This record gives sequence, structure tokens and C-alpha cells, in this order.
Amino acid sequence: MSEQSKVSANFSSLPVILLLGLVSLPLVLMYAYLLLDTVSNSEAGSLIPSEFTLEHWSFLWQMKPGKPNIWLVTLNTFIFASCITAVILIVSSMAGYVLSRLNLPARGFFLAGVMVLHAFPSVTLIIAIFIVLQYIGLYNSLVGVILVKSAIDLPLGIWLMKGFYDTVPWEIEMAGIVDGASRFAVWRRLVLPQIKPAIMALGLFSFLTGWSEFILPQVLAPGAHVQVLSVYLASLIADDNNFDFATFKAVGVFYVIPVLILYVFFQKHLMNIYGGGTKG
Amino acid sequence: MIAPAAIMIFLFFLMPVGLTAIFAMTSMSTATGISGGVWQVTQGAVNRLEGDMPALAEGIAQPRFVVDEEGLAALEALKLKPGYVIELRAEHVGEVFPSRREAERVIKALKDRPSTREVKQISDLFNRSVLNTRFESREALVRSLEKLGFKLTPEERDKVATATYTGWVWTTDNFRMIGNSPDMAQIFLNTAFYVAVTLLLFNVSYALFLAVTTHYMPPTTASVFRAIWLLPRITPVVIYVLMWKWLTWDNGFLSLLMGQFGVPPKNYLLDNSYNAWFFVILINGFIGASMGMLVFSSAIKAIPETQFHASEVDGASRWQQIRYIILPQLRWPILFVTCYQTLSLLASFQEIHLSTRGGPGKATEVWSLAAFHTALNNYTGNLEYGLGAAMALVLVVVGLVLSLIYLRVFRYDTLISKPLIED
Amino acid sequence: MRILLDKFSKSFGATKVIEDMDLNVGSGEMLALLGPSGCGKSTTLFAICGIHRPTSGRILFGNRDVTSLSSQERNVGVVFQSYALYPHMTVAENIGFPLTVRRMTAAEINKRVAEIAALVHIDNLLDRKPSQLSGGQQQRVALARALIRRPDVLLLDEPLANLDAKLRLEMRSEIRRLQKETGITAILVTHDQVEAMSMCDRIAIMKAGEIVQIATPSEMYNDPRTAFVAGFLGNPPISFLTGRAKQGAFALDDGGLKLPLAALSGIPDGTALTLGIRPEHFGIGGDVPVEGKVTFAETQGRENLYDVVLPDGSALRSIQPARSDVKPGDSVRWSLDSKAALVFGEDGRRL
Repeated sequence: MSEQSKVSANFSSLPVILLLGLVSLPLVLMYAYLLLDTVSNSEAGSLIPSEFTLEHWSFLWQMKPGKPNIWLVTLNTFIFASCITAVILIVSSMAGYVLSRLNLPARGFFLAGVMVLHAFPSVTLIIAIFIVLQYIGLYNSLVGVILVKSAIDLPLGIWLMKGFYDTVPWEIEMAGIVDGASRFAVWRRLVLPQIKPAIMALGLFSFLTGWSEFILPQVLAPGAHVQVLSVYLASLIADDNNFDFATFKAVGVFYVIPVLILYVFFQKHLMNIYGGGTKG
Repeated sequence: MIAPAAIMIFLFFLMPVGLTAIFAMTSMSTATGISGGVWQVTQGAVNRLEGDMPALAEGIAQPRFVVDEEGLAALEALKLKPGYVIELRAEHVGEVFPSRREAERVIKALKDRPSTREVKQISDLFNRSVLNTRFESREALVRSLEKLGFKLTPEERDKVATATYTGWVWTTDNFRMIGNSPDMAQIFLNTAFYVAVTLLLFNVSYALFLAVTTHYMPPTTASVFRAIWLLPRITPVVIYVLMWKWLTWDNGFLSLLMGQFGVPPKNYLLDNSYNAWFFVILINGFIGASMGMLVFSSAIKAIPETQFHASEVDGASRWQQIRYIILPQLRWPILFVTCYQTLSLLASFQEIHLSTRGGPGKATEVWSLAAFHTALNNYTGNLEYGLGAAMALVLVVVGLVLSLIYLRVFRYDTLISKPLIED
Repeated sequence: MRILLDKFSKSFGATKVIEDMDLNVGSGEMLALLGPSGCGKSTTLFAICGIHRPTSGRILFGNRDVTSLSSQERNVGVVFQSYALYPHMTVAENIGFPLTVRRMTAAEINKRVAEIAALVHIDNLLDRKPSQLSGGQQQRVALARALIRRPDVLLLDEPLANLDAKLRLEMRSEIRRLQKETGITAILVTHDQVEAMSMCDRIAIMKAGEIVQIATPSEMYNDPRTAFVAGFLGNPPISFLTGRAKQGAFALDDGGLKLPLAALSGIPDGTALTLGIRPEHFGIGGDVPVEGKVTFAETQGRENLYDVVLPDGSALRSIQPARSDVKPGDSVRWSLDSKAALVFGEDGRRL
């Protein structure tokens, strides 16, 4: 019976809804105005939009002087995020399996190491990486920053995958091995299909963090031909000559829309990972 | 199968950490470059030498003109009147003139009467000044100094070489600097303040508030609010900070809003350090609250529903229910979030970098941001890799120590179970 | 204290769970709400303790209308099926919790906890955590916590479901003893007819959100109002035969059995009927002989249980003192006790 109504009749939910609604208002306002301001103009000194316009979106068909083509930047961002997703998925799904299931010398040590690394401040790495990339000539290239970003997110990916593998029953693998399959075949054919939802979740998560990443591309690949949207937008904002919030916001909305779409559709998947631990 | 992960982690985690430690022991900066340097008597080097060896410093700062075989050979190659070379070689070889004027007087007095243009041309060939000359090796520097008539003891040579070297050198100055500089102490206090306040107010308290309030709502309403409060985390940081700028800048929302009440517009983000801190903590806190919210929410959901029913029947008010039933059972999640987010906050600097850049002044500069600014991004253009790496190394050590403690606290060993298939 | 439900209705969204239910529990009485899962008995219990509010109707404790009062204002004690002990509190803290939230002094709480702990025989466990207790001990703690506030009514939601068979027997009499000693009005929600019959003064049988019958256990057993009640009570359960009325008697369709019954006078011939025979009323010593074949025999030690299939395919169950002469496959001629037979109309009502 009780599951039919989760909320107890003893406490009214109205006060908490009002309270939370009130404190959430600034956040909601910021997002509402983010969208609103991109398609409207308002009188100076007024908060209420007075006319509808698409002029702030002109960056889509007009090149900004001194800035790379927005579509090239978008393509870069897409390549960047996709490659990161692919690398993280492939590498961490293998490593996670090994750490979850195989007898490995120093397995515990490796696991603890992964956990400690996950807690590492990325700023500690970025200085050295900056210098390393300059040495090996991958500075200002997408490949370099993809490798770096994937590596930095890898400990979390491995740790999550290990956790997902831990929930797969051993019986499946035992049966596979008894049936004569190798450990690799067991992994590939039997275990991997079991954790499809987890792969999905980690993939989405990696794509989103890749799409959002700012500091690594900013430091390691700021050049015009490899710019990603975050760097593009930041350089737009930093450019004191053309200060125009509405355009910034339009670029911002253009940049954030894929994120919001993925978020709305796959909220449930993502909630698990965000709760499970990311930096912030 | 673990090899790719191991290689990537080695290349981009362990090696950078090791390199950070190495760089921290050097004086690398934009000025020194990251490869080797040269020996150059710059004005700066002269200034450095002035204290110990005033005579030498003054001497090398002046131009020197030496009539030597090298110069004579060059003069022959110019194919001016041959008499110049013959006379100079016969009469003046080995002479050192402390200034251009003295050298030119001698040249002008040559029997073949060089023109004014030629005098200049010739004197240039004998110019042996060391100021601003680059020497590829220490020996070359010392040789040329001796040629100029500076007689140096080995210690003096060392001093000159050190003063004129432009490359990086091994040093522990970075750590001394971190230990002694009042700036660093201020940054350290900023960091402690920032981490403690954000953590307590938002990552834990506000996250608890969100988790508890959404617990007392119908499920659909609750998920709407959770989705709203997860937005700051999923929104790319550049846009997220942009929205805060729109809220706080002098033509932004707050200014317009306050304008309705006759308050002149101002930049609420940067007008004074109190406001800057207020917004820096809000900006980071709104992001940080989401993890706690999700962790605490699922922990509350894990409490059997009958415990809530029982406590209500037992007469507990909502506040008593939170106080006696919910909070005591969130002890571990709260500890976990506190530990985890301490590290996250220590490492986070993107939001501050994009919003206040550590300003106004250095009011909101925190440790990781200072390391970043020192090593990779500042207005003066002199990036001090060595000092930045040393600052980063401090963070590495703190992170390492904290996470080792956490692993102990959360009984890491219970997380790993033995594989059931033995092969 | 008397508990009264007056035209109580409860629906969740569009689903009506309970409609116009009336229930009167006398002061000091222990009443069982008995029914299959999903019949609305837990909903009724949740409404009485205030976790849910009635959609319409009234709930009275004594003369006090508590319909719109919150649980906190009602003074009810509840023992939940899973006990709902607070895992982070010691036994003493658990028991004292209702007093703690009423802001009583620590001394007063300690005194009352000690009293009640002695009453339920757990005074040696007060410093333990619930996880260190056995199921039966947890049950006692839950009882103590429910009783310590001296509630107007004690509600027990399947309190024995999580105990093993031996403990269940022990706690059955223990709960009854406590209820009698404290004189508290109690309502027991259960799906187990043995529990209901052995522990309670009266039983209310529920089906699909309605109370079908309220009576003492023996009345209910011997004089069920419907076929549902007859089928729900009794272990092994009653067996039913379907047939028609024929000249004031119940007759199987193939004519293999004819049972004259007083209850059938005035019932037109051909009316569809259901005849209920309890296992103890079929065997040796009845008055109407029936022939059939034994298809199943089970020894329960003191007694034997047999299934007998009649020529038309319907089955009767028989329970008899242990004997070893009948095996499955044997043809037998046993007899029914017509005075004890229960006859129901097509709608399930007793005639």
C-alpha cells in the first residue's frame, strides 16, 4: 500500500516546495535570461525584452573579425569530445575488467593508485604537461590535448567501470570458461553486453565533460585552427573591443544546447555518475 | 588489457608529476627558456655584480677596443688602404682602449688619414665589448674577459658565470619563496578560507538542504528541482561563469535591478573583495552542491520508509525527524562528501580564473589558481615555470596525504574482493 | 479506548482502495484485520495511525475525532512488519524515542524505558544496537517502543511475518499477554488466519476494500457469512462442491450426491449452489455417505489428510485420526456430516 504514496500525509510538501522554489529562483532566472537575451533586445536599463531579433545569432553565418569560423570550431569540439569518449571507453572498459576480475600482481596497489590519482588536482599536471607537449611537438594540436584530457579522466572511468563489472555475477563468466571460451572472449562476448547501460552512461559522461572542457584546450591548444567552443567563447568574452552580452549568450546557447539535449534525455544515466563522484 | 591504461596513466599522470617535482627544483621561466641557456653580460647581470665586484662591473659595462690579430685580419678583408693594417700591426698591436673615443683618436692619427666613415668602420672591427654579447659556453666568456684585461680569481669567475647565465639552474629558491613570502601566506589563507567556507556552506550544508527538502516532496517535483540544481554542474564552465558575469557586471541584472531603486550601477563581482568572495563562493558552491545533493538523496532514499512512518507515529515533528532519523544516518555520506570535495575544491580554479581572475587585486587568488597564473597565464608575460611547479607540488603532496588518509578512513581494503576465478 | 471508523473511504489517485467502511473496535479489545494481500487492510491501518488521510469519512478515538490530525497528534503505537527500529540508536534510545521527541527529561525517560523493558523482558539488552539483536528481540523492542507512550491504540502490522515458526508461536502469546496486561485497544493486521484466530477477540475479514464479516473467531469459523470467509478460515481449508437445489436438497449435477438441508427450504429447484464441507466433517461418523477415490494422502503425525475425488470430478478433503489402511488409488465410501455443511448461493452468500 505504502508505495502508492511516497509522501507522508503528516507533513505538507507545500512549504518545502515554496522554500526551495524561492532559493532556486536566481538560478532559474539566470538560465531563463540566458535563452531570452539571445533572441530579443530590450530598452537600455530595462529587464523586459521589447523586441524579437535574431541579430545575436549572426555569428553563425558571419565570421567575427579575427576569430575562426564557428563551424570549424564546432567540428573541432565534436572531434575532441568524441575522441575522448572513444579513448576513455575503450581503455577503461579493459582496465576496469582487469582490476575487477583478473588475478593481477599488485592489483590492490593499482586500484589504490587509481583512486589516489582520481583525487589529483589537474593543475599540478598541466604545467608539466604543457612543457612535455612542447618538447614532443604536440603543443597546439588536438591529438595532444585529447590524449591529455582522456588520461586525466581515465582514473574515474576505470574506477566506475570496475564498480560496474563488480555487479556482474561471476556465474556468467564461470559458465563461459567451462564452455571453453578464453578470458578475452568471455569479456568481449559475455561480460561486456551485461554492462551496456554502464558503457552508455560513461560514454555520455565523457562526451559531456569533453564538450565542456576549457582549461586544457585553453592552455595546450589555443591556436585558431584547433580551437574548441569553450576557448572560442572565452576569447570572445576576453576581447574588450566587442563587448556584447547578447552575442556571448547566443554563442553560449549554441554551445550548451547539445549538452542540455543529452542531459534531458539521459538524465537518469547521468545522475548516477555525477553522484558517484566527479570533481567540482 | 591493462597496458593502454597503464601507458596513458604513466605518460600523462606519473611522468608529469615526476616532472613537476623536477621543475620545482629549477628556476625555469620564460626568460630562461626550458632548454639550456647562454652566458650573456646583460645590464641585469652587471647590476647583480655591482655589489661584490664594483670595479669589474663597471669595467665590463664599458665598451673595450683591442687591437688584435683577429681585428687586423678582418681589416685586411675589407681591402681598404693596406697602410692601415701595416701601421696598426707594427705600432699598436695589443693595445686596449677603454672607450671608443680613445680608439678612434689613434685610428684617425694613422699616416694614411682614414676618412671619418672609415674610422668608424675600422674601430667597429676592434670593438671587444662584452656587454650584450652571447657566449655559447662559460669558457668563451672567461677567455674574452681575460683578453680584455680583467684578471679573475676562480671564485670571481664562478660569480661572473652565475650572474651572466641566462638558462635555468637547479635551485631550492622556489620553496624558500613559498615558505617566506607574505604573498604566499595570503594565498594560503585565501585557499583555506575558500575551501572551508564553500565546503561547509554549500557542498555539505546546502547539499543537505537540497536533499532533505526534495525528500519531502512528491517524486516528480523533487526530480524537477534536482534537475535544476544539477544544471550548474553540467553547464560548460565558460557559459556558467558568463551567466554570473551577466548577473553581476555593471550593465548586468543586479545593476539594472538595483537601478530601479536608484542605486548607481556597479560591478558587483569586482567592486570590493567582500563581494568578490561572496560571488566566488556562490559560483563554486552552486556547482559543488549538486554532488552532495545526489549522494545525500540516494542515502535518504536508502533509509527504509517505515522508519519515517514509525518516527511520525512516535510523535516526531519534521525537524525532529531530520534531526534524529535522517542526519544520524547520513554520517558516512557527509564524511565522504566532505573528504572528496575538499580535494576537488583545492584543485578547482577554472571558475575563479574565468570570473574574478583572482581579483580585485589578489583578493580571491587561491593556491591552484596562483600556481596556474605563476606558471602559465599572467599579465606580465614572465611565466615562472619553476615556481609554479613548486606551488603545484605542494598541492600534489597535500592531495596525496589527504587521499591516503581517506583511503584508510573509508576502509579501502573492504572495497576489493578477491577474484573468484583462479587462473 | 474505543476506535470507530465511520464511512471511511480511501483512494489513491483514481484507484479506490476502500469505500464506506464502518468498523467499531471496543475499548480493550484486540481485533484482527484479516485478508489477502491487496485487500486494503494495511491502508486501513495507515489511515488509523495517520500516515495516510481518509479521502472521506471519519476516524474517532473514543469521542475524539482524529480524522484530520497528524500521526504526531494521535497517540497511536505501531509495530511495523519490519519493526522499523532506528539502526543508529541503541535499544534504550529506540524505546525512549517517542518520549525524547516529546521533550521529556532524561531521568523520566530512563525510568519509563526501564519499566517497559522489564515488561517485554529485554532489560538486559538496552545498550545494544538493533543489528545485534535476534528477530524476536527486535520484535520486543518494537513493542516496547510502541507501548512506552501509553497509546490510545496499538496497531500491529503483520508483526510475526518475519519470525521463524518457533518464535512466531512464542510471540503470539507474548503479544496477547502484553495487550491484556496493558488493557490497550489493539488492531492486528495479518493475512494469516491462524494468527488472527489465536490472538484476537474478534476478526474482521476484508476483501477488495470491504469488511465481509466481523465476528469472534469461533463464530466466524462455524458460521461464515460468505464462501470467501469460509474458504479463508480453516487449515487445511474447506472444500467446495458445486451443484443445484433439488427439492430442498443440494444435489451434484450428475446426481451422485443428494444432501437434504434445512437452509434450502423455499429455494427453487435448479438454483446454482456451492456446498462447503470442512475436512473434519468428512470421513467416519457423518450421516450422508459419499463414494470416491483417494488421490492424495498425507501424514501429519497425529492426523492424516486425504483428497477424495468424486465420480463427477469434484474433490473433497478429509482429515482423520492417523490410520494406515488407506492409500492413494483406493476407493472409499466415507460420509458427510450434513448438520455441519455450509451452503452458499451463486453470489457467495450463505443461505
